[in-house]
Amino acid sequence: MKKASGFFAILTAAALTAASLSGCGGGEGGAKAPAQAQDGSKDVKGDPGELNIYTWAEYVPRDVISRFEDETGIRVNYTNFEANEEMLAKLETSKGGDYDIIIASDYIIKVAADEGLVKELDKEKLPNFKNIDPVFQNFFYDPENTLTVPYGPGIPLLVYDPSVVTCQVTGYESLWDPSLKDSLALMDSERVVMGMALKAMGESFNTEDLDVIQAAGEKLMGLAPNVRVLSQNQTQDYLLSGEVGAAFLFTSQVALALSQNPDLQVVYPKEGLGFGVDAAFIPSQAPNSDNAHAFLNFILDGEIGAQVTQQTYYLCPNQASYEFLDEEFKKSLVISTDDIPNGEFIQDVGPEATALHGELWTKFKAALD
Amino acid sequence: MGQNTRGKERAGWHKEGGTGVMQILQAAFPAGRPPGKRRDRWWMAVMPFYLFTVFFVALPMVYLLVLSFLTRARAWGVVNEFTLDNYLRIAKPVYLNTFKESFQMAVLTTIGTLLAGYPFGYFMARLPKRAKSLMMLLVVIPFWTSALMRMYGWIIIFRSNGLLDKLLMGVGLTDSPLKLLYSYPAVLVGMVYSLLPFMILSVYSSTDKMDWGLVEAARDLGATKWEAFFTITMKLTLPGILSGIVLVFIPSMGLFFIADILGGGKVMLVGNLIQNQLQSGRDWPFAAALSVVLMMFTSVMIWIYRKVAGVKDLEGLL
Repeated sequence: MKKASGFFAILTAAALTAASLSGCGGGEGGAKAPAQAQDGSKDVKGDPGELNIYTWAEYVPRDVISRFEDETGIRVNYTNFEANEEMLAKLETSKGGDYDIIIASDYIIKVAADEGLVKELDKEKLPNFKNIDPVFQNFFYDPENTLTVPYGPGIPLLVYDPSVVTCQVTGYESLWDPSLKDSLALMDSERVVMGMALKAMGESFNTEDLDVIQAAGEKLMGLAPNVRVLSQNQTQDYLLSGEVGAAFLFTSQVALALSQNPDLQVVYPKEGLGFGVDAAFIPSQAPNSDNAHAFLNFILDGEIGAQVTQQTYYLCPNQASYEFLDEEFKKSLVISTDDIPNGEFIQDVGPEATALHGELWTKFKAALD
Repeated sequence: MGQNTRGKERAGWHKEGGTGVMQILQAAFPAGRPPGKRRDRWWMAVMPFYLFTVFFVALPMVYLLVLSFLTRARAWGVVNEFTLDNYLRIAKPVYLNTFKESFQMAVLTTIGTLLAGYPFGYFMARLPKRAKSLMMLLVVIPFWTSALMRMYGWIIIFRSNGLLDKLLMGVGLTDSPLKLLYSYPAVLVGMVYSLLPFMILSVYSSTDKMDWGLVEAARDLGATKWEAFFTITMKLTLPGILSGIVLVFIPSMGLFFIADILGGGKVMLVGNLIQNQLQSGRDWPFAAALSVVLMMFTSVMIWIYRKVAGVKDLEGLL
């Protein structure tokens, strides 16, 4: 085997490198961007410097970024993460530095703010802050509206294909119906799926009562035969391709599904709605804080806000944008903001409850295949 | 290449590269023998590798080990409180079951790669020289593309109304789309597919340098084709089979993205569990403990391999 050993070493090394590259692609970009930023932000006369945006891939539309670059001369470095937790781990390592704008989910912003990693907004530099629809403000992660700008709010909904589904779908409880065997697409998120069981039992998403969580876990086991796939991204495709008959979808996915198949039925679960907001914030040690404010003010502009909403397919948190939204788009906006007050956020629960959620989730997954 | 020229080359390399770091290293580790013997400085070439190993393999492992005995913080991160809870939690049936599932998947994957890879590697070694290198190239080419992309290829084949469904319906074997994707068998196919080259190349390299004279001798002495295969060829290619088994088994214990993509998030292996605990569970110490146990488990497997194969060091693996 001697002769082949060099070859194998190379092969293994190549495989390992490929694996580590695919895993840490974002990381390298992230490390590189700030280094450039520090050079760029030196006050060279007339050089407006740079802006480092850190969020999910493709979450800020490209044309919005180019327009911002054209209008301000600021160069934008866009780095993406896969998961909120990945973002927070990196932000903590850089002690609130490296990035200028981060767009992430409500619950993780709460943790980041508690860790002192979020900078207070300078409203003087944000004349467009007044454009924000108050419905999307005063939430648990930012009760005084001093830290964040709402970017992508949404309510996850049940969507089903009436040509396939034979039972009556009115809420989470309907998903347990035996006629839906092997035909559900749910989110690959323990808190969301456990939350459906909790709501079906009339409990809160965020209960810390271990007995209640345990009971929800047992109830969830009954849902296992109906689950066809668990997925976070592009889940609407499973519904559109006929892989599943019903799916629990994020707002953007609901809108995309309906735009391709208007015959799909949308259900507001009668047991209670979930609600979530992805919001933008400036990290505490952002290298280009002024540019970050300029960017926030830019996306809070009515016309730009409409441009963002029409490409991200989330609810529009910008009152000034409503007049700029296309008629067609207004129709596909299936959620009325009247429902927002009824929605419940999924928030952090204590370590014991989190551990139990994890355990029940592992058990549930073992029952799936 | 003669011993002399190699010596010269090494000396030349040494002179050119002998600035800065090398001088410091020389000062720090004075050669034990007279400087005339260049062979003594050979270890210097290995130095970068050792440093790499210390910084990127040993230290992270120590970090992982230490982390596995700490306590998770309430909201985020860890607190420096010693605990054995993380290991005790692994003993819960639900987590032990995950290890069992992973083990089962790894065993099935190894059997699958062996069944497909042995004949492949065997016949590849018997091809004429040119065809051999062409086959080698074809086996290695998939490594040039992202493994993720190749998994999406399987989705196109397996999905409802996908290639396979259309083919089966076209032939008339089935009349409605099968739900092939997002199942245990789909994950298994993906695992076997992505680890197959390791088995093929292991078997190939041991078949390639086998002395076919022995097989001919067996045939001359009256053995049937199959008898010759089982008594001679199998035995002589056993090292290849064993190293292939290790090369396939160990990674398949830890791979998680295939289970995620082709299993539709429904198959939870140890790798998925670790990822889940790191992210939504935010329990890094528990994830670390799981990783440590997984590593111990694979180390035991390698130890068993060494016992069975009778090799003293892991070089025999490669």
